[in-house]
Amino acid sequence: MSSIARRPRRTAALALAVPLLALTACAAPESSASTAYDDWDAVLADAEGQTVQLWMYGGDDQGNAYVDDILTPAVAEYGVTLERVPVTDTGDALNRVFTEIQAGRSDGTVDLIWVNGDNFRTGKEADAWLCDWTDLLPSMAATDPDDPLLQSDFGTPVDGCEAPWHKAQFTLAYNAEAIPDPPTTLAGVLDWAEAHPGRFTYPAPPDFTGSVFVREVLASVSGGADEVPAAYSDKAFDELSPALYDRLSELAPSLWRGGDTYPANEAELGQLFADRQIDMTMTYGPATLTDLVADGTYPPETTVLPLEDGTVGNASFLGLPANSDSIAGAMVVANVALSVEQQAAKAQPDVWGQFTVLDIESLPDDDRALFDALPTSPVVPGYEVLSENAHGELAAEWVPALDEGWRTGVLDR
Amino acid sequence: MPSPTLPMQSTPTMQSTRTMQSTLTTPRGAGRVIRVALTMLLVAWFALPFLPLVLWASADAWSFPSPLSTAWGVQGLEEALGFGLVPGFDRSVLLGSVVAAVATPLGALAARALTFGTVPFPRTVSALLLAPIALPPFAAVLGVNVLLLRAYVPPIVGVVLVLVVLALPYTTFVMRAAYGAYDLSYEEEARLLGATPSQVLRRVHLPMIAPALARAAFLAFLVAWSDYIVTVIVGGGELVTLPLIVAGAAAGLGNDAAVAVMSLGAVIPPVLLLVAVLTLRGSGRAAGGRRRRPSAPPNTTSAASSSHPTTPGASA
Repeated sequence: MSSIARRPRRTAALALAVPLLALTACAAPESSASTAYDDWDAVLADAEGQTVQLWMYGGDDQGNAYVDDILTPAVAEYGVTLERVPVTDTGDALNRVFTEIQAGRSDGTVDLIWVNGDNFRTGKEADAWLCDWTDLLPSMAATDPDDPLLQSDFGTPVDGCEAPWHKAQFTLAYNAEAIPDPPTTLAGVLDWAEAHPGRFTYPAPPDFTGSVFVREVLASVSGGADEVPAAYSDKAFDELSPALYDRLSELAPSLWRGGDTYPANEAELGQLFADRQIDMTMTYGPATLTDLVADGTYPPETTVLPLEDGTVGNASFLGLPANSDSIAGAMVVANVALSVEQQAAKAQPDVWGQFTVLDIESLPDDDRALFDALPTSPVVPGYEVLSENAHGELAAEWVPALDEGWRTGVLDR
Repeated sequence: MPSPTLPMQSTPTMQSTRTMQSTLTTPRGAGRVIRVALTMLLVAWFALPFLPLVLWASADAWSFPSPLSTAWGVQGLEEALGFGLVPGFDRSVLLGSVVAAVATPLGALAARALTFGTVPFPRTVSALLLAPIALPPFAAVLGVNVLLLRAYVPPIVGVVLVLVVLALPYTTFVMRAAYGAYDLSYEEEARLLGATPSQVLRRVHLPMIAPALARAAFLAFLVAWSDYIVTVIVGGGELVTLPLIVAGAAAGLGNDAAVAVMSLGAVIPPVLLLVAVLTLRGSGRAAGGRRRRPSAPPNTTSAASSSHPTTPGASA
């Protein structure tokens, strides 16, 4: 799977946790108080000897290996011990933070979370993140301050509450053995699916990947991503969504198993693709494709499908809970993770293949050479190709509305 | 994932231990055939789920619609080691052992008190002891975790505490069955012959309940061995056990072989323990006193037919 913090299946627990937070008298530790650092040397001095727990989705062995074998030794040079905590769902990590804050603990055990999107927003609404700390990081200088992906995370302003880690691009991939003449637009993909019944499907929203696909179809049927306003309004939803659900309902009988059932998540979709039951798959983490082809999970002819309309991109981040007991250490880890060396190492297709968040154009020559020298993956083209004509994510409020509309408008029809 | 439900294979050990097979009760003819067939069916029922695991564990590639793996190899094992199979395994064994070591004596104490009538309102107390089985763990754990955090209980201690509470119903009820068939007059006789209380405990009491203690410890170990949610939420990441690693890997794509290897690895300790528990049975009787007992072996009907099931798994 990918860098994205998926929708927590424990929404109920979160929904409970947030009002409880509001009710509990013991307020969360003041974030302004805990950002007592105004110079980096003080952070470095405090970080020495600290242990940082990074909570991250544990299903990606390349990601696990990168953190254990490359990032951990790099931060050890600063006297920081990095421990990785694997979770099945980023929501587990947030639940832990919420519970600690509710109990009034300012010596929390979660120091960093690999996060974005909905989980970031939930944490921000609950004041769980430390904010305004990323400007302290020396490595931030190499990012583009005007990069929209780093300013807003699925429509939630970042406000220095999380440090960028990598970029992802929604990508369709197909088995070239089965599709010699692939479509070039998203509308073309849907037409292709109708011409080849049973060879295409998508995960059922509210699954993260399925939900993204529905939004991509929305952009396509609306005449382009620019036609869909990023900010949510009922008016825009009522205006644009009927065409989307009509198109998807029309498509349903041509899907895998006649659209009677949908894969539950990206892993199930990928399994169908690996088993050659379908000829196309989609992912928000194209970095994983290289490895899945190399280890024989995916067909050897797997190829990324470039679309003229472009696809949606996002960045994922490292969030620092406000009640962490190793704030300085966590900042050092976030800074090292954002350094040129680490970003270049992580971008190696055989390491993790995650796209950098740095602004490569503005780097000094010898640093830029590190990225220019990256071997190209046999499967995944470079970020500049993938992100051609890319558009940003819609505001987070769109997501539940579109998902619910899909359930009533497509699934139950 | 090791299944959270407790296996019921331990049933046969429970009641047949003390009944001596006589020529009168050995099955013959049709009854024997049916009995053997049923046993085979049960064995198959437990063994079958492991077949795909074994196949997957050694599959480097296996794609639809091939009925068998399309490439054999040890890639699964390599990946499993990469996910951290070995340290996770060690931590799980340690956690299971600690929980068993705490929950078993506590369950034995509670069971003895309940059996020999030193507890007021025994029915209510029994119901309370069973309560943790009825609670949905997720809700209970989220709630109790706030308390543990407020009280500044270290995360690992908290995990052990909560898991001990979850294991207590099982240990208590296994020990109740044992004490139901326990004859206090042995202890009285030993005291009359001049044994000190501690000698009675070591030489009479413990040897007689040893098999039941082993069964209870086995169940307590399993509770901790297969736990995910308590370890994640209460443990706060301090304790990355095997279920956490397996669940993390299972959430990903293309990890089937690694997950199969880890799941098989997760089955080994319980199976070894089960074998150990089975070999322990009956050895307690020999240690209970060399002389011929005044009475026949304790009548199992009085113990086993009382209202509580001998296998907690049946009520879980």
